[in-house]
Amino acid sequence: MKYLFYHPEKCTGCKQCAMACSLNKFGECNPKKSAISIVRDEFERYEYAIVCMQCEEAPCIEVCHQGSYYLEDNVIKRDDDQCIHCRLCAAVCPHSAITTVGKEIVKCDLCDGDPKCVKYCSTEALVYEEETKEQAAKRQELAKKILSTS
Amino acid sequence: MQERKLAIVDLSKGKVQTYTIPKSWRRGFLGGRGINSYLLYNLLEKGTDPFSPRNVFILGVGPLGGTLAPSSSRFSASALSPETGFLGDANCGGFFGPELRYAGFDHLVLRGKAKNPSYVNVQDGEIEIRDGRDYWGMDTYDVQKAFRKDLGDVESVVCGVAGENKVRFACLRTGVKNAAGRCGLGAVMGSKNVKAVVASGTDGIEVEHPEEMLEVVKDIKDYLMASKITPILGSMGTPLLYEISNTIGAIRTKNSQLNAWSDSLNAEELEKYVEKMISCSSCFMHCRHRNMFDGEGPEYTAVGLLGANLGLDDYPEVIKLNNTCNELGLDVSSSGTILSWAFELYKKGLIDKKMTGQELRFGDFELADELLHKISKREGFGDILAESSKAVKKFGPKSEDYLIAVKGLPQSDPHDVRYIKAFGLGIATASRGADHLRSRPTLEIFFRLPLEVKEKIYGKGVTADPTSYDGKEKAVYFSDNIFATIDSVGICKFICHGFNSPHFLSYEHFSKLLHAVTGMRFGEKELENIGKRIIDTERMFNFKHGMTAKDDTLPKRYFDDPMKLKVGKGHRIERKGFQKMKKRYYKLRNWNEQGRVKKQRVKQIESYGGLP
Repeated sequence: MKYLFYHPEKCTGCKQCAMACSLNKFGECNPKKSAISIVRDEFERYEYAIVCMQCEEAPCIEVCHQGSYYLEDNVIKRDDDQCIHCRLCAAVCPHSAITTVGKEIVKCDLCDGDPKCVKYCSTEALVYEEETKEQAAKRQELAKKILSTS
Repeated sequence: MQERKLAIVDLSKGKVQTYTIPKSWRRGFLGGRGINSYLLYNLLEKGTDPFSPRNVFILGVGPLGGTLAPSSSRFSASALSPETGFLGDANCGGFFGPELRYAGFDHLVLRGKAKNPSYVNVQDGEIEIRDGRDYWGMDTYDVQKAFRKDLGDVESVVCGVAGENKVRFACLRTGVKNAAGRCGLGAVMGSKNVKAVVASGTDGIEVEHPEEMLEVVKDIKDYLMASKITPILGSMGTPLLYEISNTIGAIRTKNSQLNAWSDSLNAEELEKYVEKMISCSSCFMHCRHRNMFDGEGPEYTAVGLLGANLGLDDYPEVIKLNNTCNELGLDVSSSGTILSWAFELYKKGLIDKKMTGQELRFGDFELADELLHKISKREGFGDILAESSKAVKKFGPKSEDYLIAVKGLPQSDPHDVRYIKAFGLGIATASRGADHLRSRPTLEIFFRLPLEVKEKIYGKGVTADPTSYDGKEKAVYFSDNIFATIDSVGICKFICHGFNSPHFLSYEHFSKLLHAVTGMRFGEKELENIGKRIIDTERMFNFKHGMTAKDDTLPKRYFDDPMKLKVGKGHRIERKGFQKMKKRYYKLRNWNEQGRVKKQRVKQIESYGGLP
């Protein structure tokens, strides 16, 4: 199974990932209307990407009372037609990875296996690749940690 | 095609008027620097004092700004310059330009003067002049942090303490080190009682052909990433140029008394003090150093002008001076040039302790840092230095012989132009004064570049020898035109043709990107013609405000004193050769013998009309 991996030490904060995502999904360049968000502050000296981790026990699926969220080929997808825009999904997401802007709710669906964010990242801070056992263990451990504290 | 907006904010009356940018302007001048310059020409009356409320202050972003187009972070700021009295114009990266567009505006004009310290807030299509008294007096870091604390996730362009105090080379700052550095635009902002323009917006840039844009940018990305120079630019940034210039002996050293300096300022030495390389908005190159002294930078200009030119060879000291300029809101280029000028004048006895209050000398980090602080507050001798080249009035007429400036603008390029003649013509004729980012034909520095490559770029007749005057007007003409277009589409020169590489992005790429974003078709020739039109408009503006062909000249030292060291030894600019080259440049531009834009052309440019 391929996953999206993010290496913050390689991220330069340029936001091309978010530009490409919004352009692909909405036909506009808008880093605030993207499934991947770059949180950055040059004065505090950080830049960090927030994007869906495709949780195995996904709070968004569990909390959605309209059945908007579903699992397909290990990717959590969202059906906007079912959605009543209550935004509970965004509220419970442990990674704050569901973007809400104006009327839109945006969540990463890995672009059907061709994630645009990865394509336009110039430093390989974002990669889409097969998960190794070590990575899987690390990811699961991290997810548990976050879920237990949130 | 999506309509784009322009707003005129009258600070004296507290009124805001919004316009749709005429399509003819977008076709004729694109946006960014192009529309800014056209607006300036139209809005500014002859005889305006740069610090009077009648001066206008303009921010402008190009049509590619804030999109997936690579390095589309740039905006231009323009006004009548308090440093030169002519065109004041500076281009800047970071994240502010894109945010201004997301907030709904491509161009913003501030006129008049606010009664009290204020800031202009632009948010989701609304513009408000707000009380800025709580922010007045803050340095450029603190004020931006305060805006984020008070207003949320905003981007702001601010003037520092230097701008508030109308230091003639106060810059605009956004982020830690992005600067609209040149021509004293921070002082113009301060003179209007404005601390900042703050932007935030949730609307993006609607793209006319999204699929096409994804494809075009992917191709461009692959093209840029395949270049051998890309990883070098991304790890060393502009400081890379220091070593190149220093090798031939063309690094301005101690106010150009010397022309070579220490290898300790080579870019690879800088790497020891860098935490991470970071980017402006939408940039694949990441040429920015996040340094270990709580700042960002330095760029090549800081390395040269706060290092070699001040007689400093210790990188941490140079980085710290760079950070000081950033915090205070001082233009690095003018700071380094004016300080070194004063140091030499002191050494020569043209100024003394009575005026300076202390001993001045090269190679003294503490002294330089102290003077930068004094300049920003206009304290003591700092008050005189804050006048930039206008300090000649205090220093006496003889002092002008040692001033490295053109049209009153201290030279930005740390490169001593006595060796490469095309660089000389470039800084002599650039529309904002002695500046390399207007027309420096950088490829002249690559001695081994085959003549065919040069001819292909600059045209037949250009010569291979960098010390020759022959055909060099063509190299400058090409660069001047394409740089004006680049500044007007809204992307960074760093990834463009003829600046760092004989490859990279050129008119054909701009054409493709513009079509994808706006749906407007621009031919390659048409884009080049837009560059020419912008240069002519700026020339018209400058001549309206008193410039003549006599101002297209070089510092006396470049004519009279031969270089002393390395390959450059014995080289200077010969007046005759220079004058002939300048005349040929005027001819190429179709200007008259006096360097003036011809009447018919003026008429043609003026026919684009005023605001509807």
